[in-house]
Amino acid sequence: MSSDAAAGTIDHHFDPTTTTGIPNKKVLMWAFLASDCMFFGCLISTHLIYRLHPPPGTLPAKEVFSIELTSFSTFILLMSSLMMALAVNAIQKGNLKSMRWSLLTTIFFGCIFLGCQVYEFRNFVYEKHLTITNSILGSTFFTLTGTHGLHVLVGVIWLSGMLAYSFTGRLTEKQAIDVESMGLYWHFVDIVWIVIFTAVYLLEYI
Amino acid sequence: MSAPASTAPSPGHELEQSKFWIYVQIAMLLAVITGLELVTVYLPFVRWLLFSVLVVLSTVKFMFVIFYFMHLRWDRVFCTILFFIGLVLASATMWALLKIFGAEASKPLPMTFGDPPAMVFRIV
Repeated sequence: MSSDAAAGTIDHHFDPTTTTGIPNKKVLMWAFLASDCMFFGCLISTHLIYRLHPPPGTLPAKEVFSIELTSFSTFILLMSSLMMALAVNAIQKGNLKSMRWSLLTTIFFGCIFLGCQVYEFRNFVYEKHLTITNSILGSTFFTLTGTHGLHVLVGVIWLSGMLAYSFTGRLTEKQAIDVESMGLYWHFVDIVWIVIFTAVYLLEYI
Repeated sequence: MSAPASTAPSPGHELEQSKFWIYVQIAMLLAVITGLELVTVYLPFVRWLLFSVLVVLSTVKFMFVIFYFMHLRWDRVFCTILFFIGLVLASATMWALLKIFGAEASKPLPMTFGDPPAMVFRIV
């Protein structure tokens, strides 16, 4: 741990070199996430609109979904968010070793989530005969959850890249903003899933 | 005159230390709320009540993640405003779309024998 971090002299919430007082990378990430809200908002709306008026003969979503599996995926993603927050906390204190373990666990949880999603999709297509082209439910469901899954995949690749980069010796607490920006993206993926879990899955059961 | 030397950690340093436990406690809380959501859908109450409970619980989870895990609580208010612009726009768009397509006139008309089959589009 470096002396700067140990003494707590680096303020990670304030950057005097920018006009806003916020690191530019953080502003960029928040602006991107705000725009991504719109993107997911449209996808979720589309799914809900078609669920309001399902065409005759549509398979009841309750018979297709597996709430146990989805709840497990949700729990895993929430725990990955915890590990990501701990990774950011560790790098801000200059504790590289702890950050690596936290990142590795986050990647592991992200892979479990993706594995669950692949299993779920496979089950829907081969067991429940729900595909992206044979029904409106399939089209909107696979587009929405598939786009979210793609975001998780991008996050896992980004995390892996950052983990590899940490071994080059060029990642110190002064570059904590890079890990923090990545963390913001990962937490965003988590909050989108919180909304999808309620809007797409749980509402079908009430 | 120089400032007296102190061995006590700075308030910022203490905050960084305490954040670890804050994150762990919040993660546990989020897991409990997810469990509650799961139980809620099986409760024999009226639909609107269950719907409201689910919306409130997911909003609480959402807020905990953005304000604690995403550091909005400790960051400058500008970040909160920036994110909430997108969030409010997205929520308003969702609300408007659901209102428009939820109207009686927006319901799709039933298929009749006079309608052209979907295959026509493939042939053309």
